[in-house]
Amino acid sequence: MEKLMKILKELRPEIDFEKETNLIDGGILDSFDMVSLIGELNESFGIEISFDDMEPENFNSAGQIYQMILRLLNED
Amino acid sequence: MTINSMSFLVFFLGIAIVYYLPFLKKYQWAVLLVASYLFYFFAGTDNFIYILVTTMTTHFSARMIGRKNKQQEEWLREGKGRRTKEETAGYKARIKSEKNRIVFFDIAVNIGLLIFVKYSNFFIFNINRIVTLESNIELKALNILIPLGISYYTLQSIGYVLDVWKGKTQAEENLLKTALFVSYFPQITQGPIGRFAKLAPQLFGVHRFSWQNLSFGCQRILWGFFKKAVIADRMNSFVDEIFLHYEQHSGFTLFLGCIYFSIQAYADFSAYMDIASGYSQILGIGLEENFKRPFFSQSLAEYWRRWHITLSSWFRDYLFYPLSLSAPAVKLSRIGRKYLPARIAKLVPSVYAMFLVWFATGFWHDASWRYILWGIANGVIMISSMCLSEQFQIWKEKLHIREENKFWQFFRRLRTFLLISLLKVFPAASSTGNSLRILKKIVTDFRIELSYQAWFPGLIKNYLAYILFGLILFLMVGIKQEKEPFREYMEKKPFAFRWCLYVIILCAILSFGMFGTGLSGGFEYAQY
Repeated sequence: MEKLMKILKELRPEIDFEKETNLIDGGILDSFDMVSLIGELNESFGIEISFDDMEPENFNSAGQIYQMILRLLNED
Repeated sequence: MTINSMSFLVFFLGIAIVYYLPFLKKYQWAVLLVASYLFYFFAGTDNFIYILVTTMTTHFSARMIGRKNKQQEEWLREGKGRRTKEETAGYKARIKSEKNRIVFFDIAVNIGLLIFVKYSNFFIFNINRIVTLESNIELKALNILIPLGISYYTLQSIGYVLDVWKGKTQAEENLLKTALFVSYFPQITQGPIGRFAKLAPQLFGVHRFSWQNLSFGCQRILWGFFKKAVIADRMNSFVDEIFLHYEQHSGFTLFLGCIYFSIQAYADFSAYMDIASGYSQILGIGLEENFKRPFFSQSLAEYWRRWHITLSSWFRDYLFYPLSLSAPAVKLSRIGRKYLPARIAKLVPSVYAMFLVWFATGFWHDASWRYILWGIANGVIMISSMCLSEQFQIWKEKLHIREENKFWQFFRRLRTFLLISLLKVFPAASSTGNSLRILKKIVTDFRIELSYQAWFPGLIKNYLAYILFGLILFLMVGIKQEKEPFREYMEKKPFAFRWCLYVIILCAILSFGMFGTGLSGGFEYAQY
């Protein structure tokens, strides 16, 4: 989780990722942020986030992103 | 029969009465299907085959993919804890590959049809231009009428199949219900491009007649008619005049023409959305919003999040994301990391995907080079802005500019509006050559003039007063909507105030509105 929070903070320092639960539905992260974030996550965690995973419920909060990473790590 | 015509109003009244008959409550969706096919039938019988093919391929592809999803779920449930990771991964990969084959078939057929009817002549024309340089052989243009709404219902249908493919949506089992989803009549002509998860439950559900839906629906239709008749159609003739006889106008007038075209296109397109949403609301079905006051945007990227929202979000979800996560994007990203600064290298997949998405967006609008240029120009500006964002930040800090400063926000809004308007030179002109000639004139022959003729060529002064009245009201409503939802605001107002405003709008439509052969003219976006 610490590693994820570091990536998120680097991406958008002004956002409180510990509290925010509406990152996608609230339009806080735009599509460019998403592509940069996915690139970082893929590289840092050795996972492959695909088009199937591009759903708001996987990215609306840091917790949801973390759950998705765990699921993808578990699938590998 | 356009949605703003008298004949549509009569048609709709008939449908609405049947729709709310108590003994047909369970079959409301069937009434909508009959209405949608009747509406399509009135538009012309020649092109029925295309929507039928799209309906069939969409339905059967979604069902086959849905079955594969279920098959996988059952396999995983049955073997829980008994299978190795490798076995599970292998099975999932096999199912995915089978699903991919179906989805590729569906996309190939539907995009193939769209290309055939909409782009054949564009390709023939361009091939002829190249070939006739070498020989006298010339391909004949095809005589095909573009089916009503094909650009919209194709994207909506593909979106549904992809949602089933992702496992996000269950496949519909009833072919006739899929047919309704593809052809729902208030939105078939020019969107909004609906998503199955939101639209289908409403289309297939039971709706009780509601006075509030009737009242809100009528208010929205009235507002749509106002924008269409008083602003869009009134502006149409003099905007056309500027671009048709562009040689006679200075760069200054042509630049104003771009601004007028921008406003006129927004009034026209959003009027359609208001009318379509209003009619649909009377039936108890809420359509997606397509506009969120785009002219208040502070950047081009924000503008595209607020203008034609259902198209932009379709391209984002079903083209931008897959492209930016695709193998070529990953490969380009790796190359970028070797040769480019880290910050720019991170943007490589987005830049690659954006370029292709904007090319596709331009081409989706129209089979012409000027629309391709318009799409690419939008893309290039946004890519440049993305790549230079750090430099902009440094300059802002040096100049002590704060984001929350009202003047700075106003400047950004004005700059964005002028930029959007300038880019409208491509859709506004009658050909690619003319759009470039107009652009050249704007740059080389720009001198501010004060005469009425330079500002409003060919526009009768009374008409200018009508348009200004319409625009001021439009702007006031927009400013209010930025702060709170307008209809809720109106609900809180006294009865007399509300009705005064409705009467003013109705009188304005009747007195200031422009009427063609029917109640009003056609819509610009229907041609796409």
